[in-house]
Amino acid sequence: MGDTPLLEVTDLVRHFPFREVQGLRMVKANVRAVDGVGFTVSQGQTLGLVGESGCGKSTTARLVTRLDTPTSGRIVFEGRDITFLKESRLREIRRDIQMIFQDPYSSLNPRHTIGSILTTPLKVHGLHKGREKQRVKELLELVGLNPEHINRYPSEFSGGQRQRIGIARALAVEPKLIIADEPVSALDVSIQAQVMNLLAKLRDDFGLAFIFVAHDLGVVRHFCDQVAVMYLGKIVEYGDRHGIYERAEHPYTQALLSAAPDINVARGIAPKERIRLVGDVPSPIDPPSGCRFRTRCWKAQEICATQEPPLIASTNDQQSTGGRERGVHLQACHFPEVKTDILAEVETPA
Amino acid sequence: MSAAIADQLPDATQGEAHHSGDVVLDVKDLSIAFPTEEGVVRAVSNLTYQARLGRTLAIVGESGSGKSVSSMAVLGLHNMKRTRITGSIKLDGEELVGAPQSTFQRIRSRQVAMVFQDPQSSLHPFYKIGDQIAEAYRTHHRVSRAVGRARAVEMLDRVGIPNPKRRAKQYPHEFSGGMRQRAMIALGLVNNPKLLIADEPTTALDVTVQAQILDLINDLRKEFGSGVVLITHDLAVVAETADDIVVMYAGRLVEKGDAKEVLAHPAHPYTYGLLQSLPSPTEEQEELKAIKGAPPSLLALPPGCSFHPRCTFKDLVGERCWTEVPEWRAAPGLANRQIRCHLEDPVGAIAADEEANRG
Repeated sequence: MGDTPLLEVTDLVRHFPFREVQGLRMVKANVRAVDGVGFTVSQGQTLGLVGESGCGKSTTARLVTRLDTPTSGRIVFEGRDITFLKESRLREIRRDIQMIFQDPYSSLNPRHTIGSILTTPLKVHGLHKGREKQRVKELLELVGLNPEHINRYPSEFSGGQRQRIGIARALAVEPKLIIADEPVSALDVSIQAQVMNLLAKLRDDFGLAFIFVAHDLGVVRHFCDQVAVMYLGKIVEYGDRHGIYERAEHPYTQALLSAAPDINVARGIAPKERIRLVGDVPSPIDPPSGCRFRTRCWKAQEICATQEPPLIASTNDQQSTGGRERGVHLQACHFPEVKTDILAEVETPA
Repeated sequence: MSAAIADQLPDATQGEAHHSGDVVLDVKDLSIAFPTEEGVVRAVSNLTYQARLGRTLAIVGESGSGKSVSSMAVLGLHNMKRTRITGSIKLDGEELVGAPQSTFQRIRSRQVAMVFQDPQSSLHPFYKIGDQIAEAYRTHHRVSRAVGRARAVEMLDRVGIPNPKRRAKQYPHEFSGGMRQRAMIALGLVNNPKLLIADEPTTALDVTVQAQILDLINDLRKEFGSGVVLITHDLAVVAETADDIVVMYAGRLVEKGDAKEVLAHPAHPYTYGLLQSLPSPTEEQEELKAIKGAPPSLLALPPGCSFHPRCTFKDLVGERCWTEVPEWRAAPGLANRQIRCHLEDPVGAIAADEEANRG
């Protein structure tokens, strides 16, 4: 590396204030959706944000695209601070940062034709003047749709095709960074793979950087170079794909990985030892003191309630990385430990 | 709970004994169609399967494959003025196709209960959780309010809701998603039904909570001895929870057999394609092996095999694939497996394809 990263996020915070009646008093409180999140994304790199609902992964994605404004923190894109960029100047970054949404039904205007949906970003940014229609046809071809369908409406397309339109719209302005918020979770299994392949191809062809928000751990593993695991508004573990999936150190990451059902059970491979978390994620209005995961953690001790574990470089390094160079691996736990027994790689029988 | 009330409560595991292995739901040649302005939507065609007590049957398919529509017919949830149902659905020997509403009112909850995908919209927001469960119990049992309430608390306790007495007095919005789904399951099991139909019960839940709910359904099935029909699109969930599997495509059955065997060695090109398209949990792949194309419209099913436009094996058979609907037959060379495919040697063809992919 050495050169400046494409995107640098430091200590990002987003609190949603609200008022609540408590007894006879009106009390001000905050939903602490994102509470001190930091990461970097380099050109052509893919960062996966995983976690359960309410962990702040979607809010983080919206903050980076500046669809929402952070409470505090810093977002630097190509060396330029865009954290509190004025609304009137947001258009400048929108050309470089685009978003793909989860729901291909509600994210396309049903009264606009595909042509008009895809021409709008070109007109807004004054691109391909005079040959917009030509460009739209190229875009449709790029995402695997028939360019002759330019005059059709979204309702005439299936879910997978609509998601392709959403992808074409994001690509229209030739962005450098795409934020994809659960881009395949609303699609059928057989269609998911098609869209994932399309995204991977576009990433490689155009050198796009991605922030990929998803709850499906298999999909993230397939697509992402770096993975950040979030819990209650914070990153609890960060590392490259191998580090997270094979050598996770944070108990929450281990629980998340072991909770995912495994198709290999059908192939006669004994199911992984399950870590069963008790209860639900606590409310982000009043997160637990110290480590936020301690209320569901089987390792929790006194220090976990009093001291918040910082996100620091892992100390369990250099153990059998299979000859791979070990990248940055950060974790936030007082008692980190690689539990290879539950994350042991399962072998596919020949 | 007072002793007098406790005496009146039957032990949930008692009641009519459930004999493990008995057929509880026998669906034969079921077809469901919805006439619309644009034509007839053939949601389900010639569906045949059986669910047994003490076992979990997974119905797998993509959206529009007919998996939910067929289960709704078991509970009589279709508007009969707009639905054409033919064939036979026998629940514990009783014919349900063409049965009057009174029959369904009698069997719902008592014989068969359903857990829906979205617990938020399937519980009544204005009534307390405990009252909703008590109501379901008292509809089928002539007991006092107090007994009904005690039964509700007992059920909440059974599904692992902490502090059930206090929770029974709360409203659905005061429950988290996972807790709400537990309450739905309590509601479903309150009358000790012989069959529990769970329609995507964990799709709306987070993965750590999903694991809890699947464990719960499994434990309760063992304890109560009911049959479970699990409708899902998630093959990994099937691998871990189901005994038997039926795979549906465009309203038709395409494969049926033992769940683990089908997932390990699929014999129908669609099942094989679905499994191939999943990202491998162990190997890193450059590209996912997607099934090309999209499922057909139920208004205009392709002639012959509905899957042929997307099938990569059709060249091995040829014309029959697009002229003739394959018959439902035993898969050659496999015990306890049925498929709907023209391939002469589906197992061999799929093995050859796997080999080619590896090489």
